[in-house]
Amino acid sequence: MKILNIFLYEWKHFFRNPFKIVAVLLFVIAGVYGLHNGQNLYQNQAAEIEKIQEKIETDKQKYLTQYEEGKLVNEDRPWIDMSSPFWAIWNTPTYKLKTPSPAMVYSIGQAEQYGFYKRVTFWASPYDADMAEEIANPERLQTGTLDFAFVLLFLLPLLLLILLYNIKSAEAEQGFLPLIEVQNASKNSWLLARMAFYYLLVTAVAIGLLFYGAMLTDVFKTASNAFWQMLLYTILYLSFWSLIFFFILKIGESILGNTLQMVGVWLLFAFVVPAIVHQSVSIAKPANLMTDFIEVRDKQQDLYANDSLFQQKLIVLFPDIVNSPVYRDSTKIDLARNRSASALVNELKKESIQPIDQESEEKNKLIQATYWFNPLTFFQNQLNSIAQTHYSDYEDFRSAIQTSIDYRIGVLISDAWNDVKVDKGRYLEYNSKFNK
Amino acid sequence: MWQIIKNEWLYYSRTPWLLGISLGFVAVLFVSIVLGYFQAQKQTVQYTEAKNDLREQWENIDAMNPHGAAHYGTYVFKPSNLLSSLDEGVNSITGNVLRVEGHVQNEIVHSEASQMQSISKFGKLKSSLLLQYIIPILLIFLAFSSISNEKRSGRLKLLVLQGAKPFSLIFAKTLSIWFYGLGLLAVTILAYAFFNLQDLNSEIFSRTVLFFWSYSLYYFIVTGLTVFFSARWQNPTIALTSMLGLWILWTIFLPNVLMSSVEKWHELPSRNEFKADMKEDRSKGLDGHNPSDERTKELKANVLEEYGVDSLSQLPINFDGLVMQEDEEYGNKVWDKHFGNLRSVFAQQKQSYQLGGIVNPFISLQNASMGFSGNDHLHHQEFLVQVEQYRRGFIKTLNDKHAFGGSKTGDWGWKADNDFYKSVPDFEHQPTALALVSTHYIADLLLLMGWTIAVFGLMILGTKKMQVL
Repeated sequence: MKILNIFLYEWKHFFRNPFKIVAVLLFVIAGVYGLHNGQNLYQNQAAEIEKIQEKIETDKQKYLTQYEEGKLVNEDRPWIDMSSPFWAIWNTPTYKLKTPSPAMVYSIGQAEQYGFYKRVTFWASPYDADMAEEIANPERLQTGTLDFAFVLLFLLPLLLLILLYNIKSAEAEQGFLPLIEVQNASKNSWLLARMAFYYLLVTAVAIGLLFYGAMLTDVFKTASNAFWQMLLYTILYLSFWSLIFFFILKIGESILGNTLQMVGVWLLFAFVVPAIVHQSVSIAKPANLMTDFIEVRDKQQDLYANDSLFQQKLIVLFPDIVNSPVYRDSTKIDLARNRSASALVNELKKESIQPIDQESEEKNKLIQATYWFNPLTFFQNQLNSIAQTHYSDYEDFRSAIQTSIDYRIGVLISDAWNDVKVDKGRYLEYNSKFNK
Repeated sequence: MWQIIKNEWLYYSRTPWLLGISLGFVAVLFVSIVLGYFQAQKQTVQYTEAKNDLREQWENIDAMNPHGAAHYGTYVFKPSNLLSSLDEGVNSITGNVLRVEGHVQNEIVHSEASQMQSISKFGKLKSSLLLQYIIPILLIFLAFSSISNEKRSGRLKLLVLQGAKPFSLIFAKTLSIWFYGLGLLAVTILAYAFFNLQDLNSEIFSRTVLFFWSYSLYYFIVTGLTVFFSARWQNPTIALTSMLGLWILWTIFLPNVLMSSVEKWHELPSRNEFKADMKEDRSKGLDGHNPSDERTKELKANVLEEYGVDSLSQLPINFDGLVMQEDEEYGNKVWDKHFGNLRSVFAQQKQSYQLGGIVNPFISLQNASMGFSGNDHLHHQEFLVQVEQYRRGFIKTLNDKHAFGGSKTGDWGWKADNDFYKSVPDFEHQPTALALVSTHYIADLLLLMGWTIAVFGLMILGTKKMQVL
């Protein structure tokens, strides 16, 4: 029997089987629903970022008016002098933003576990409490949002199972199999051709959903690569399950036995293996209680208590200050030193963050080492990476925040020790540099 | 009927693949309990170390201004729950560390989930994962052909001719498979009890009994429904595929969809909005006409009048401490309003989600399982409330020392000694008693019972429409 004939017969079989049609329709509905969930989150985050940018602009204008009117010192709070770099930078509204990728429509990933904007100040840190996720119901987070990645990873194998479970075994149970063997050169090629029909059907459905998702957030405009990568992984994932099911169907002779094995493999890869890995990682590396980060509090107190140590550390960090005019001016040096405290605290925080980041890195390596027997976690993280909702994307975001804090402090130290007087031009410069 | 159940069990014991699967399941369940136990042990050690470390830091404060100490603050870590080896609930999603300090009610941060890339969508290998997702599948596979096979082989006619009533037959088949599920459930609970023998008390016992009961009802629903389908349809494949479809709908699809919908029906504010509103209320007053400066002036006038003096410098106490406490108390009203609103939205979400149990008993099971394990969002909120109560007492102690400890207004250099800091009590978490929260789970249990009765009704119906001859 030629492949085209097999495809035609299979199409008839599929079309006459309402159960299989309903399964495909349900899959499409779930996919569309998942894509809309991704789109909602993308739009919500984009809207929140827009609000923040408006707030930055409003705050900036408020301070610019002060410069324009020459009211640099607040009457109620005379210590706030906007001509000093410290207060000018203090009042430069700065946010670090993690702009969502349009590919978020495909995979929400870990986007709901982290904050996506952070107000940067002298005292900020990427591990501050305001870096926590948006306010959400933890039971919902625990259940997880049904996004396209979920539909792909968990429901696609089930759809395939429903489409394939009785192939060959139904013929075997009804006694037609020898007849088919006579009509076909090879039983395997017949099985493969029948499976290929469903493989192509599911591929077409998946591509349709991917295109629909792309239209929702304009993926092709700014993240077309993400579309093609998503397509590649979808095909790879589909092929992975098709291969497993092919071997089950090839070996098995009964509908019940095949279904049991297919469901068993799905349960194994979707539930049991990831759950065992998760549990093992939690035992090997339990949740970090951030005690290193908390200890900065005490180290900070020790630092304040010792002036000469404070000065020494500051010079080590910023050797140029010894050549600055303020360093040689005994009337100004104390104030400059006090205002440089955040630089040293920032260093303490960075030191404390290192082991925390290292531990997270070790956990991730541990998880990655299981990819060869834990395919769902592998695919899940690949999809998250494409959608820029992976742990490493938020790690990069934290690094960007730290860089922004370092830069802000660097400018403060340089300008404060060089006794720079801030005017409107310099204030605008701060705004453009810090919010780059 | 008992004879049928006996025969079924005899068949199970003589079926090698079923024996193999059962042994495999018992082994995995046992492993889940052992791993859960080790995880809980390790977490407890880590928690105790961190807690002691933080307490030591606090008790080592040599001399510090009490308001400085309020800023120095302390941290509370979320302890692990004894029943978390059965069902971890929301614990890996919620944070573990909560900063306790003056002027602000912080949120709990640094969740386990945020410290690594994603692994399992359905959580760790806890007993709940196997009991909720895997065992029902096994029950479906055991039950889907229980009646249809009897029909196909002609044994059903024989049994009816021998005097067996069709309903007794269906019910006995259901019971025999249900008992199998209960056996696996019992193994889990017994293994759990064995590992935690020294910590068992009446609270844990009652929670475990309710946990067992919820799962028992759910297993009856799944088994009964599958046997009903088996009786209703000639072709066992239809019964199997229908039940698998229902299983996917109940466990994978509906919880996700309903929970997302519930969050849309009862919307939560964004973090930015939430913080901005609190900031606004604190500075301008809850009514918008009572700014903080005005409040301070009023307090000053009252205190001066109370002590019969004209200026702050004449006061025998430190007015700054009173201002701080007054500000705290005003802040507490603000937190109560906003965090209270959040809690009420969460409660509305929970109630709506619980109603999902009308169409999906799995939702009721999940709620009951997390709740009776003491690891659902409600228990988490109870923990947060306890910490906030502690924070308020903690800060009041510091502010009172600041006001009445012997310093004068404006004397920010004054320091309280180490004895005072040692005397400030540490936070002690009191696990939420089941009696206090049990009413929240009545809906889940009632819905599970409702489903059980409905399935029982279907079995009776199934008997009437079943073709025996």
